[in-house]
Amino acid sequence: MNLRVLGLLLALLGAVAALSAQGSKLLVVLEDEAEKSKYSQFWASLEDRGFQVTYKSPKDSSLSLFAYGEPAYSHLLVLPTKAKGLGPNLTPNLIVDFINAGSNILLALSAQLSVPSAVSSLLLELDITLPPDRNSLIVDHFNYDTQSANEQHDVLLLPSPQASRKDVKNYFSVDGLIAFPHTVGQVLGNASPLLSPVVKAPSTAYIYNPKEEFESLEDVFATGSQINIVSAFQARNSARFTVLGSVEALEDKWFDASVQLPGAGKKSEKTANKAFAQKLSAWTFKELGVLRVGSVSHYLNEGSQKGVSNTTAVGAALDINPTIYRIKNDVHYSIEMSEWENDHWAPFTPAAGDALQLEFSMLSPFWRLDLQPTAQTANSSIYSAEFKLPDQHGIFNFFVEYRRPFLTSVEEKRTVTVRHFAHDEWPRSFVISGAYPWIGGIWVTVIGWVIFVAVWLYSKPAQPKRQLKAGNVKR
Amino acid sequence: SNASASLGNIRNAQDAQQIAISLWNNYVEKTPQRTKLIDAFMAFLMVVGGLQFVYCVIAGNYPFNAFLAGFSATVGQFVLTASLRIQTNADNENDFKNLSQERAFADFVFGSMILHFFCVNFIN
Repeated sequence: MNLRVLGLLLALLGAVAALSAQGSKLLVVLEDEAEKSKYSQFWASLEDRGFQVTYKSPKDSSLSLFAYGEPAYSHLLVLPTKAKGLGPNLTPNLIVDFINAGSNILLALSAQLSVPSAVSSLLLELDITLPPDRNSLIVDHFNYDTQSANEQHDVLLLPSPQASRKDVKNYFSVDGLIAFPHTVGQVLGNASPLLSPVVKAPSTAYIYNPKEEFESLEDVFATGSQINIVSAFQARNSARFTVLGSVEALEDKWFDASVQLPGAGKKSEKTANKAFAQKLSAWTFKELGVLRVGSVSHYLNEGSQKGVSNTTAVGAALDINPTIYRIKNDVHYSIEMSEWENDHWAPFTPAAGDALQLEFSMLSPFWRLDLQPTAQTANSSIYSAEFKLPDQHGIFNFFVEYRRPFLTSVEEKRTVTVRHFAHDEWPRSFVISGAYPWIGGIWVTVIGWVIFVAVWLYSKPAQPKRQLKAGNVKR
Repeated sequence: SNASASLGNIRNAQDAQQIAISLWNNYVEKTPQRTKLIDAFMAFLMVVGGLQFVYCVIAGNYPFNAFLAGFSATVGQFVLTASLRIQTNADNENDFKNLSQERAFADFVFGSMILHFFCVNFIN
């Protein structure tokens, strides 16, 4: 009881106003009720952020991911089990169907309980490979906690994860060290563009099986930053699956433990596990990195509609999203983008050095343009571009595709017809200066002809008028 | 002609010039007034057409439809005028027993109007 009150107090102190953009029903699968108390701060943090948490055991017959063909929960959190598998209601096929239906999953692993083969094969579906030795963990002789694992070196202390590229937003940065006790390492395949590492092991780490006490390591599964401690997978429908190698990183004990790196001059400090757990679960359960497209509009930027700065202000007078354009028309395209921020939609800005791009394409892009931010509303940012349609008729698409690591995917396509010039849309001859000699030639001919006709009519006929008798004329 | 052949080139040149002059004199005296008017108009059309063609060769044929319209105005008008000349020539009267001068001229005017309409339309 004391622990519960303490947990609630702590939750109030660290209250974060946050909501998931997708839904609040979260299912936690854990084997014992006894385990639940080990993570009380984490549950409190989840409930504080608006999740309705249900706790079920994998052996529970009432556990079902689906209800009436739809996912029963928006999110799933699976803790490691002692049993050989996750039970009949959490087969790899069902979990894959759950992801395909759009729900998010956070799977935690532990090196102290051997990983079931069902979980291994599930992760293989996502191109994540676990070490074949069921009991292996990650060991690092340079980044371990001297206070708790001075002999084993299996409690890793890692700094905040960095973004893998400059133009990718980093949603997982924290102040301080993160402790990962007894971690199961994962190796990510190269083939899938949907996988991203969140926390990679440092270059001095390696995978070791403590049951087999070898003097030296032969045939190691993976070393260094090949090993991932936390991996993230985002499916094409933007459903998220995160694998956390160390479930103990979520325990109350490690949320504010004192740790110390080896080496002279290193001081004891508090871990940043609580902040990291909050960020990891926030990303997985769609509180962070969620994008939304508002309105998409395009219009003819010529004549009376040229240079209209705000389409909503003009209202009904502006012909928005026509189905047909003509070649070489000037058009204006704009798209409204928002990013979910805690509990509301806010204007979205791509990372520095990155740009939102528009493709105007028929089979392949004729234009690929960077969209510029032109306006901002309270909830969104409007990006637009102005360009001239190509000199080719056909069926074209305005296509915005924005897929970045740790952001939901954006794919917006609008199809338009581009027709050729109508017979009366060609430029007139008198506006083409090169045609002047020929225009002159025609009119000189005509005037000469008029003079000829006038002179002919006033001249003497070549022969006298013949008397046409009725019999002579054959009609 | 035997005498002129035996006297060499100078004689031939002089003869050619004399033939041309007498040809011209014969034309001026014997051709009816209206036929000469037609011939003058046809010469005018050839000059205008030739000028347009030379301009095209020198300065290029952009816009091509304009060149075609201007050039074919002169060529078409020439053809119509030629057919008027054939139909109104006194020497051809046997071939055109049932065709009066007025009818030929009316056909010429009608054809010319169609030609002018086409050329103005084609040049846009």
